[in-house]
Amino acid sequence: MKNFFSKIGNSLKEFGQALAHGDIWVRLSLVIMGAGYFGRKQIMRGILMTLLQVGVLASIVKVFMPYMAKLNTLGTVQREEIFDPLTMQKTVNDYDNSLLILLYGIIGILVIIAFIALYISNIKTTYKIYKLQQQGEHINTFKDDVASFKNERFHITLLTLPSLGVILINVIPILFMVCIAFTNYDENHQPPTYLFTWVGIKNFVNLFTTSQTITFGYAFIRVLVWTLIWAVLATATTFLGGILLAQFINHEDTHFKSMWRTLFVITIGIPQFVTLLLISKMFGDNGIVNTFCANVGILDFFKNIGLLSPGDAFIPFLSKPGWVHVSIILVNIWVGIPYQMLIATGILMNIPSDQIESAKIDGANKFQIFWKITMPYVMFITGPSLIQSVIANINNFNVIYLLTSNYKTANMAMANSHAVEPDLLITWLFRLTNEYSNFKMASVIGIVTFIICAALSLLTFSRMISSDKEGVYR
Amino acid sequence: MKKKIVSALLVSTMVATAFAGCGSTADEATDSAQTQSTTETADSTAQETSGTSEDAIANLIAATDGTVNIDLWCSETEEYQTVMKKLCDDFEAQYPDVDFNITLGAVSEADMKDRVLEDVEAAADVFVFPDDQLEALVKAGALNEVAAQYTFDMNDTDTPATVEAGQYNGKQYGYPFTASNGYFLYYDSSQLSDEDVASWEALTAKADELGKEVGCEIANGWYLYGFFKGAGCELSENEDQSNNCDWNSATGLAAAESLQSIAASNSFKSYGNDDLLANLNDGKVIAYVSGTWNVNAFSDAYGDGYAATKLPTFDVDGKACQMASYSGYKFVGVNAYAENTGWSMLLAEYLTQASSQEAVYEATGEGPSNTEALSSASSPALDALAMQSEFAELQRVGGNYWSPAESLGKNILDGKVSQQVLDDAVAGITQAVTE
Repeated sequence: MKNFFSKIGNSLKEFGQALAHGDIWVRLSLVIMGAGYFGRKQIMRGILMTLLQVGVLASIVKVFMPYMAKLNTLGTVQREEIFDPLTMQKTVNDYDNSLLILLYGIIGILVIIAFIALYISNIKTTYKIYKLQQQGEHINTFKDDVASFKNERFHITLLTLPSLGVILINVIPILFMVCIAFTNYDENHQPPTYLFTWVGIKNFVNLFTTSQTITFGYAFIRVLVWTLIWAVLATATTFLGGILLAQFINHEDTHFKSMWRTLFVITIGIPQFVTLLLISKMFGDNGIVNTFCANVGILDFFKNIGLLSPGDAFIPFLSKPGWVHVSIILVNIWVGIPYQMLIATGILMNIPSDQIESAKIDGANKFQIFWKITMPYVMFITGPSLIQSVIANINNFNVIYLLTSNYKTANMAMANSHAVEPDLLITWLFRLTNEYSNFKMASVIGIVTFIICAALSLLTFSRMISSDKEGVYR
Repeated sequence: MKKKIVSALLVSTMVATAFAGCGSTADEATDSAQTQSTTETADSTAQETSGTSEDAIANLIAATDGTVNIDLWCSETEEYQTVMKKLCDDFEAQYPDVDFNITLGAVSEADMKDRVLEDVEAAADVFVFPDDQLEALVKAGALNEVAAQYTFDMNDTDTPATVEAGQYNGKQYGYPFTASNGYFLYYDSSQLSDEDVASWEALTAKADELGKEVGCEIANGWYLYGFFKGAGCELSENEDQSNNCDWNSATGLAAAESLQSIAASNSFKSYGNDDLLANLNDGKVIAYVSGTWNVNAFSDAYGDGYAATKLPTFDVDGKACQMASYSGYKFVGVNAYAENTGWSMLLAEYLTQASSQEAVYEATGEGPSNTEALSSASSPALDALAMQSEFAELQRVGGNYWSPAESLGKNILDGKVSQQVLDDAVAGITQAVTE
């Protein structure tokens, strides 16, 4: 942070120096950004810079200003229409669209910031060229400039597109979503017909409040805890299972290795949502698994050992808290293991065999080799991707939503916040937006999820990368 | 309002024929209505004779320039798509001077609101939606008000209950389309007698004896309402979309306990639609609360024994209470952001006029809301709906009802009814709508 501000400070200082010591062309660049280049006979560059200046200024004034001017209220004129029964035509007033105001407002601000940065660096560049001229050195022609993008400035050529992409599909939507969390955008305030406006941190307060009617706080804690438990368990079980499976298939006594591998990979080939929907039907209260369990006596067995009460007519695999949590994790093991197996197979094949050989000579048995050599090695290689999959599991929408789309909660406090016990933050968020148009609370939950994920990855990655374990495996 | 429905049903034939005459040859309205009463039904191309309507349509045709693009979204079922395609073609043929491009889209009616509200400006110009979505659509400003009608007046042709259901805050938003979206009891008359289906107690006792299944999806606020309303409890919506609810009263508790004891019998099931259909085909389910959307499934499963009737009674404090229900309607709506509001309105009118409703009834079995079309429609399901209509209420309930009600139903099924559960449910149902 400090670094960032001192950089800005330096930049401004250079800007001042450029103006103080530069000649007329440098100073003219304050008004016409291409002037500094015209003065040094860099005509093409000057024209391009001036065109850019005109274009950006025009778009700010013409496109963004009208929206940015309303950013503080997010619009005041609601849509009104008058229908003329005689001509069957409709006249609509010039109404404000809060969503567009917010979106264009954000983009406008980004454009202005980018433009200011460009403006300052432009003055500095013209000053640099002025000094080159003073010292009698070579000044690039337009041809040289273009050529430089293929040579010493090749990184700029490479990174332009990706960074534009990051801004368009990451930065702007995230800023947009963060802003929504501070508005009252919900089912009663839906643009384009209705306006929404800023409400400060009220939504965040609601998320952490629990009363008899506002139960977001209660539901949030429950959902958050389950989300974290799920993410860790889902990752750990599939990871261990995948390695063990790969180990078994790789074992020297296993025949038809590629057949086994193919069989497991086939489960990946079937679209996940088909498998999951089928499983949710099979394990439903009246699904075939329950019929089977009742017929062979598993249902009675569960009743005898006290897992079910005597009156229950079915095993609530996917319909009671506790049961549903276990079922989800078990199903996820089945769905997720093949992926981990594939990854683990690749890693296991690359374990330096000299280590294993020498361990064998030293008299280590198979388990010792697995726990002391294979596992640490695999952990080291897959550590970062494990963190990644914990985060992916925090946002694992498919498994949870498809398995529990028919789940009905008996917990009133959860129901009052439209949450159910097996919900992850992400599925709760989905239900709030999709079924209840509660975008403001969904944004708040989204931000919290984002913070958790970001904190988790930053912490673990920085610890992992800084640790100097690398030497151990060299 | 209930009485209105019944009377409307009873006099439907009379009214229908009267309008048939009025529609086609309105200049000699009264005379011809009597003389032609037995001949033709409404002429589909009939137009109101009042000068303004014709002028307006003429104005519209004159003002129309180039192709008129209209998107129409309706149910994805093949029957629906076919009949709507045909109706659209007929509509185009009616205005030969205008170049139409009507595109049909398949969107499940249950998802219509979500799909339309995803992006109102890009959604279809005309769409078919069930009445429970009306409020959300109006609240989002997605529906065009029916400010004027040109080819017929729905107040004269459709049952008052349906027209009223298409209103919100006193303004008409929906064009009445079908009136059969409520629920009632299907049963197998080869296994159950009239007495058996008269009350839940008798029904579950008989089903226990036969080793078969009967039921109603209690863990769903839409059906659960019928029990509490039948017991005499109230649920209504306030101006600000919050709810009034007294289900935690002594009556409410008695009703919940009664329902709990009914649900506790071995034969009683609370199936969702998929499970219902699966078990129906297995021959296990011999009576179930459902609606016209399942009419083919039930008639196939029960064969000659296929029958339908009003909902059963249930005992509350030793007194038999008639189970109530939500009546259900479907409407054709015009998008407030439609590209061609005028033509979209005319198409919506065309799709909802008597002859179109008859065509839809024949194709899909859904009961018309037009009194004239209704008079010619008869089936066990529609008769059962008519019987239940006396106890059916229009669904007007705020969005905070559904989750707590579903959870309450789940508690009843789990046998966990208590004053505390009801208090919590009512607190959730009546929670304030945050501004």
